[in-house]
Amino acid sequence: MSFALPARQINFGRNAAQPFQLQPQPQQQQQQQQQQQQPSNGLALPGGSFLPPPSSLALPGPSPLNNQASYTQPSQPKAPSPLSAPPLTAAQPTNAIPGPSTPPAAQVPSTPAALTLEQQHITAVEGIVPTLQNIVATVNLDCRLDLKTIALHARNAEYNPKRFAAVIMRIRDPKTTALIFASGKMVVTGAKSEDDSRLASRKYARIVQKLGFDAKFSEFKIQNIVGSCDVKFPIRLEGLAYSHGQFSSYEPELFPGLIYRMIKPKVVLLIFVSGKIVLTGAKVREEIYTAFNTIYTVLCEFRKP
Amino acid sequence: MASAYYEFYRGSSIGMALTDSLDELITSGAITPQLAMKVLQQFDKSLADTMVKQVKTKTTLKGHLHTYRLCDDVWTFIVKNPTFKMESNDMVSAPRIKIIACKNGEAIEAGKK
Repeated sequence: MSFALPARQINFGRNAAQPFQLQPQPQQQQQQQQQQQQPSNGLALPGGSFLPPPSSLALPGPSPLNNQASYTQPSQPKAPSPLSAPPLTAAQPTNAIPGPSTPPAAQVPSTPAALTLEQQHITAVEGIVPTLQNIVATVNLDCRLDLKTIALHARNAEYNPKRFAAVIMRIRDPKTTALIFASGKMVVTGAKSEDDSRLASRKYARIVQKLGFDAKFSEFKIQNIVGSCDVKFPIRLEGLAYSHGQFSSYEPELFPGLIYRMIKPKVVLLIFVSGKIVLTGAKVREEIYTAFNTIYTVLCEFRKP
Repeated sequence: MASAYYEFYRGSSIGMALTDSLDELITSGAITPQLAMKVLQQFDKSLADTMVKQVKTKTTLKGHLHTYRLCDDVWTFIVKNPTFKMESNDMVSAPRIKIIACKNGEAIEAGKK
């Protein structure tokens, strides 16, 4: 897997850029500005981050209350959100839910003072959004397949039954790989978005159909989503492993990264000294974003001096 | 063991020449068709062995892999706009080629059609 360059985008292609976020204005002014804007445009601006945080500042655990407050609502409205807890801050309008770029609320002091250098840095870094790197989905074509026919007639197919009992097929757009089994089940990997994964799966089903099989497109399900990002500061993995022992596994002689098994959302994170993070095990993209927002608070605590 | 060899070299120019000659000999009654078959099988074997053991020339090719396929231990590649760089540093190009590569014992040999 390749680590993509950190995504500096603030939105997910939903709303326009929010330039005022990056300006080093006094916090109170910024806060007022956002509060004024939020009801008028109705967009899901990450305004919650500038509100006074709940009293539970910087809880060490992976499920502090403020994680719920900075929780990311689904960028795609139809996607189910497993963690749709209501925001804790009452001042937050219900239609203005913090975006996924929202930094953990605990990073913002409750007193509306001018931003220190460190806080400005955090404000600037809030644009970090995990980039989706891989999506694995399964489909049931609901029909027995003769793999040899498929391998002989389809393009870009490999079938070596001595090594693996499936046809490996690739398409260029969306750039994906499919494993097609004789039972009619199919695994599609490599897509970078949910839509791409679905489109690719449909294309594979169509290819199989064109070869004369009565293939349907049923039971499409995304099984895993992998994201990655860079927090741009080094991390003390030993300290993190020590204080989050029940979630962490850090064996530098076996693997240089810390394996962090978050319970809620159920996501596994690989955290590296360099500040690069890999998040995997999510079924919906919001779990990746929530997990990152949750871990970001913790990582700031264990920033290398 | 004669059947363990691929017959695709019969389609090459040397294979075609051999087949034509054998046809002629059969028509004139000089040899039996059975003998001709044996000769062709020996040809398959000899050419496969020769390709592995005696042909040491190398070439590197670059191009756009349009299609690939692996089935029954035979790889098929369709390469668009390939350029071959020969050992003598000549460059040869073509709009489209098909490479068929198959296993021959422990060695892998490549044939071009």
